[in-house]
Amino acid sequence: MSSHILRRLAESLVVVAAMSFVIYALIGLMPGDPIDLMLSADPHLTSADVARLKALMGIDQPLLRRYGAWAAAALSGDFGYSRLYVEPAVAALLDPLGRSALLMGVSFVTTLALALPLGILAARQPRSLADHAINLASFASISLPSFWIGLMLILVFAAGLGWLPAGGIADVGGGGFIDRLRHLILPVTTLTIVSFGAFARYMRSGLLEVMGQDFIRTARAKGASERRILLGHALRNAMGTVVTIVALSFGGLFSGALVTETLFAYPGMGKLIYDAILGNDFNLALAALLIATVMTLVSNLAADIAYAAIDPRIVYR
Amino acid sequence: MMPRQSRAALYTRRFAQNRPAVLSALLLLALAYASLASPLIAALMAQDPSVVDLYHRIAGPSLAHPLGTDELGRDLLLRLLAGGRISLAVGIMGALAAAVVGTAIGLIAGYRGGLVDAVLMRATDAVISLPLLPLLIVLAAVDLRKLGLPPELARSEMASLYRIVVLVALVGWTTVARIVRGATLSLETRDFVRAAVGLGATPVRVMLVHILPNLAAPIIVATALSVGNVILLESVLSFLGLGIAPPLASWGAMLSGAQETITIAPALAIYPGALIFLVVVACNLLGDGLQDALDPRTLTARKRA
Amino acid sequence: MRRRARILIAALGVLLALAGPAGARNQLVIGVSQFPPSLNPLIDSTLAKSYVLGMARRPITAYDADWHLVCMLCVTLPSFENGLAERVQLGDGREGVRVTYTLQPGATWGDGVPVSTDDVLFTYEVGKNPSTGVSSAEGFRRILGIEAKDSKTFVVTQDRIDYQYQALADFELLPAHLERAAFADPRTYRFRTRYDTDPTNPGLYFGPYRITELVPGSRVVLERNPTWWGKKPAFERVVVSTVENTAALEANLLAGSIDMIAGEIGMISVDQALAFQRRHGDRFEVLTRPGLFYEHLAVNLDNPILTDLRVRQALLLGLDREAINKQMFGGKQPVADTIVHPLDWVHTDDVRHYPYEPEEARKLLSAAGWNPGSDGIRRNAKGERLSLDLATTSGNRTRELLEQIMQSQWRALGVEVHLRNQPARVLFGETVRKRAYDLALFGWVSAPENVPRSTLYSKEIPTAENGYTGQNSDGYRNPEMDHLIDTIEITLDRSKRADLWHRLQQVYAETLPDLPLFFRADSYVLPKWLKGVRPTGNLYTSTLWIEDWHDAGDQPR
Repeated sequence: MSSHILRRLAESLVVVAAMSFVIYALIGLMPGDPIDLMLSADPHLTSADVARLKALMGIDQPLLRRYGAWAAAALSGDFGYSRLYVEPAVAALLDPLGRSALLMGVSFVTTLALALPLGILAARQPRSLADHAINLASFASISLPSFWIGLMLILVFAAGLGWLPAGGIADVGGGGFIDRLRHLILPVTTLTIVSFGAFARYMRSGLLEVMGQDFIRTARAKGASERRILLGHALRNAMGTVVTIVALSFGGLFSGALVTETLFAYPGMGKLIYDAILGNDFNLALAALLIATVMTLVSNLAADIAYAAIDPRIVYR
Repeated sequence: MMPRQSRAALYTRRFAQNRPAVLSALLLLALAYASLASPLIAALMAQDPSVVDLYHRIAGPSLAHPLGTDELGRDLLLRLLAGGRISLAVGIMGALAAAVVGTAIGLIAGYRGGLVDAVLMRATDAVISLPLLPLLIVLAAVDLRKLGLPPELARSEMASLYRIVVLVALVGWTTVARIVRGATLSLETRDFVRAAVGLGATPVRVMLVHILPNLAAPIIVATALSVGNVILLESVLSFLGLGIAPPLASWGAMLSGAQETITIAPALAIYPGALIFLVVVACNLLGDGLQDALDPRTLTARKRA
Repeated sequence: MRRRARILIAALGVLLALAGPAGARNQLVIGVSQFPPSLNPLIDSTLAKSYVLGMARRPITAYDADWHLVCMLCVTLPSFENGLAERVQLGDGREGVRVTYTLQPGATWGDGVPVSTDDVLFTYEVGKNPSTGVSSAEGFRRILGIEAKDSKTFVVTQDRIDYQYQALADFELLPAHLERAAFADPRTYRFRTRYDTDPTNPGLYFGPYRITELVPGSRVVLERNPTWWGKKPAFERVVVSTVENTAALEANLLAGSIDMIAGEIGMISVDQALAFQRRHGDRFEVLTRPGLFYEHLAVNLDNPILTDLRVRQALLLGLDREAINKQMFGGKQPVADTIVHPLDWVHTDDVRHYPYEPEEARKLLSAAGWNPGSDGIRRNAKGERLSLDLATTSGNRTRELLEQIMQSQWRALGVEVHLRNQPARVLFGETVRKRAYDLALFGWVSAPENVPRSTLYSKEIPTAENGYTGQNSDGYRNPEMDHLIDTIEITLDRSKRADLWHRLQQVYAETLPDLPLFFRADSYVLPKWLKGVRPTGNLYTSTLWIEDWHDAGDQPR
């Protein structure tokens, strides 16, 4: 078990190192650079200015050398300066990280609060009307484009009824608890709508799998009520699935929800990554993408371990 | 093993019993036909969906324009059908491309085994564990000319479509690869494969002639399930302005444009979104139905959203 | 059951409405679509930054809403007439100019330190230092030297006399007492400038407001600056709130969480603004003013098809610009005849016009040797198709619509157009710069009476040899235009200069280096109660006059 974890850890490190280079190279492959953009905006820049500014930012160096310099600095904890936010890249990340964790965390809780009961309800009587209805709703949830449902929510609740703010994290001058909550409602609703389906289906299939197993049959033979079997025996055994989902979703707290954040102008990680990439902010994009990757890997690892710990049938070689 | 014909009949019967899947298949077929026939429909309606009419912008439904017109006075129904062509094409091409890549990788990993298998499977794990959307954004913004592509191709009108298909293939092959590898591993030990190897068939021949045909069912199911996801992905990228670019228009791209006029002309946003939703639901239900029909043991979907 | 649900929803709505912001008028919330990247006024200039800094600082001179050059931080605009400007002979036989400015006597940084010539000299030192990363060094390069007369008066020696001699372009004062430490190593100045490390330091600002809170990517809060020398601004606080998405911007406006949309960087199109006014005209007012934003089709004159003037004329005659303006822009974006804006005092109407005359256009194309083929697309004697590429910035909704209109209208003439959109960074960074286009749709922002040297002068054609500098990407070479540009720059007599400008416009309209389209209008969405906002229509933002903004209920002070 521990050797398995060690191996997974080593693999993850390799992946992170490879990713850092791939991301660096890809951003380098994007057209133009900050100076090219400046040049087009400012008629007064001369070719001497261009050369001077490029040397100043180090853009005149070949890609590999730039990556080498970046990696060396990054290993010593220096992720460079963000061009867009004009502060160290790591410092620029902190606030968005917190805001994404809040948004994703709240959505995750509401999603589970909706999905788990639905999954249980569906598993209680497979092929019943309730099961079919929940199944259809789950499919709908999986198939909805998040930006569209977000737009529709804005259209109805913000633009139409005017009940809720259409974007941002707090009203100007506000920022109290109620105010922040109001700003969270639409993005959280959007995320919940598009993600409960997958979770409900996991829950249902996890339960059904357990229900078919011998110990359930034994319990039935002993005369336990269906309700007791489902909630007592099956649910406890299906919790492995839930814990795995929880662990897997952990990574999402740090990469944010790009589309939802963009739509609702919610300054979280997803939006930051998007802005950094499109704004040619190398250092910030790299730092943010790496954090997101590392956290996803960590959560996958955590999911593995949790799953093994809960379900004794899984043995790692 | 059952005789082929009766097996096909069984599959068909099982599939036919799944009413949502059948309805989905019919809906998809109808949409595909309508999209393909959009020039014909345009001729019947005596409309040219590419001709701008500045004096009839954002008109409501009428006899001439059953769904009204868009912000340049073009018939909305015809625009939606034209957009459907692109969305469906991207979905199908992307899913197929991913299936081809995944099948190749899965076959090689499963049949070769050893180090090749280990490396390929670790790569699969790595791709699965990456934050997908941000990466796609970087990939979508890459300058094709910096990759050495001829400028003619990089600037062609279809470039944005091909780019998305390639992106999908780059990140979407993992599911199929895993399924194919697993199935290959079990098929390898079967008598008919061993016999072929014993008779001196080359590895390529064994893989393509003896193993691949037996993998058809799981590959079809996985591909059908991923069509919907690809369409969703395309719509997200187009919505962010990184997907399909004018003069092509997909539903996602239409939505992206409609976002700005949503309070003036909500219909422009409601229709394409609803179509994406319908098509994706249909693809998922269809995939689900195929899975139930082709593999009776599966009670549950293996899909991860 | 259903009724109870309805009551519940209604109650919830009331609750939420109560929790919403109260309509206090001691603050003004401005919605914008971009967040300023850095606040240092010399580095990386963007419109979003100018907009915010317009409330907290003032340039030395600016063009006002009537497009007159006025003093903001200086007391009197120097001129030869009032003796504050004088010609000087430079060593090499050229003639320069010495211009004297006096800073506003009351100008004081927010921490109580007076704005003085120390700051002027320090700013000059930063601006001319090549390693600071100041983006536009041209304004500083023209300056040969600055001498301080006393703590408020200084004399600038410029290396040339041109019609702009009165303006001190790009000269944004930095507080020497705060910034000198950060400038110790010029190479790291752009990371260490206190505008970014300590942006709420009151000593960085001397305008009617100062920045008191900054949430990157989200909002900037400004409060009244007690050391401001001018008229007391009406609002205690001004908040600039970033909402990048137009629909969300509108929704925020309706919900009352923002009060107005800034035209300069609100990114709301004229069309949207007018539609908004139609629906919410009871609460909001929409101001549009065609600005110095010249939307045009750049033409690659080295393209064998486009090099023929008749083809360019035909393309323009075949485009119904009047209808586009009326139908797409509510008539608010006037059709451009040349680069010169109708409100610019050097403008003339006495130029060749190109109304919508598709028949005339067809004749011209036939005369140029392009005759309709079987598929409706014209071909020349060699059988080549009349087919052109059109590039614009992808993601710009208005331009994407515009180009589809052009494609459709030109198709009717027998001209085939392929749309090749690219992200702005590719279009400007590569395609236009390296002249790899046939037709490119984009705009120029300029100041009033802006001489088109960089865009029309024959020596400003970007080439590999000059490192692709210069903005004459059309490849326009016209000796008369060169001569006009040279002469206009050094002609100080206004009426003579106006004549030269008129000739320049005639040459432009005759020879069509670009295909002129429109002057773009910025749309301001303002609440009915807000008065005093005057869009300038030029590069200088309306916030430079924010002390004139007030609540209609208030009596102007």
